[in-house]
Amino acid sequence: MNTREYIESGILEAYWAGGLTSEEMLEVDRMADQHPIVKSELEEIRKSIQEYGQLMGKGPDHAVLAKTIEEIGEGDRFRFMESLNGEEPEVIVKRVNVVPVWSIAASILLVVSAGFNFLFFTEFKKAKDQVNELQANMEAVKQDQLLLADLTKDQRMELDYANLRIAHFLNADNVHVRMDGLPISPEAYANVFWNTKSNAVFISVDNLPEPPHGHQYQLWAIKPGQSPIDAGVFDHNQRVQELKVIKGNVSAFAVTLEKEGGSPVATVEKTFVKGFLKKS
Amino acid sequence: MSEPLPYLSANSSVEERIVYLLNDKDKKAISLIFDNYGALLLNVIKRVIHDQMMAEEVLQKVLLKIWRNAEAYNDKKGSLFTWLVSITRNAAIDQTRTKDFRLSKESNRSIELVSIHNKPDGNDEIEKMYVKQLMNQLPDVQKKLIDLSYFGGYTHQEIANKLNMPLGTVKTRIRLAIKHLRSVV
Repeated sequence: MNTREYIESGILEAYWAGGLTSEEMLEVDRMADQHPIVKSELEEIRKSIQEYGQLMGKGPDHAVLAKTIEEIGEGDRFRFMESLNGEEPEVIVKRVNVVPVWSIAASILLVVSAGFNFLFFTEFKKAKDQVNELQANMEAVKQDQLLLADLTKDQRMELDYANLRIAHFLNADNVHVRMDGLPISPEAYANVFWNTKSNAVFISVDNLPEPPHGHQYQLWAIKPGQSPIDAGVFDHNQRVQELKVIKGNVSAFAVTLEKEGGSPVATVEKTFVKGFLKKS
Repeated sequence: MSEPLPYLSANSSVEERIVYLLNDKDKKAISLIFDNYGALLLNVIKRVIHDQMMAEEVLQKVLLKIWRNAEAYNDKKGSLFTWLVSITRNAAIDQTRTKDFRLSKESNRSIELVSIHNKPDGNDEIEKMYVKQLMNQLPDVQKKLIDLSYFGGYTHQEIANKLNMPLGTVKTRIRLAIKHLRSVV
């Protein structure tokens, strides 16, 4: 018997009507397994009967299912209302995904997000480090600038003093006295410019050691046969400064270290530098 | 127990889905069995127990048995429906041995009257009416054959006797009726 004859024999209709013995049913199952045409024909017959029953209000009351489910017990996976109302395919197909699509998508997003988080954090940290480094650099540059400014200021001051000294040297009215170091400070030296017209005395602090705290250098004009005449205390930091007016027959100038504010009497043993006027 | 299917696809058959869900201990399987085989199983019961209410009670027991013995099904041995029918037949025969069954036989007539009243008319929805109109295109005799054979629990022999038809004619006419039905639905 070929499949067509088999189908037309009416055995498939009898199968669903419950008119076959168990052996006969198993025989139909075997035929259906071997021949797809038989299988699909069998399923088509069942569907049409089922649909007919549904539309014509045949078949068992839905309460039968409800009671059965109730008896089976409440289960978390079962959604009762769905089973009563819904079409099965969509729900079933969804079950195929052991992991739901949205959760796969969510997982991917999470991983991507975590990746980005890491990336962003790394970038952020890098940027932060760079900012810190830049700030440190800027601070250093600022320090350098300050230093440079100080240096420039110093140099300008030095230049100003140098110019001032040169001006004093070049001034034809000035008498120039170089004072050299005495035994207590052999390396020391300083210069005095004495204006013969105004009698003003200028000191050029060239190389005098830093005075101890509470002490100041003091310039003295020395006239033969007299005690040293006070020519004024001066600031060690100021290279060139105008001191007192000195008149008369000065033979030499000397610098002593005195208490701050100066002394009326020169402390001769603390004479650092001394120079004599050239005899003209 | 049959091996669980590794996966289901959109074009998996109803049978494959049910087997999958049964193996997965998902109650949805019972719901699918009810929707797709319920009427046919009730029909099998009715071949033994004509009373609708009692037949439905048996169907409930059958569904429970299916749920509890799901691991007994082996798809290598036969189809799901063949397995379901064997459980159903046994349950129906068991029922005939109960006191309830013997008592119901005596008051069969009154119960039948009640069941007529309980039948849903299905006329409340326009769509249902329309499809019912389509169904009504089937000749009365064909509808009768389908009703008796698939929902009334009648054997071909019983139908032949009832409609005064040769047994061979019953078979071919049922086949014709199904063919006609398939062209309509």
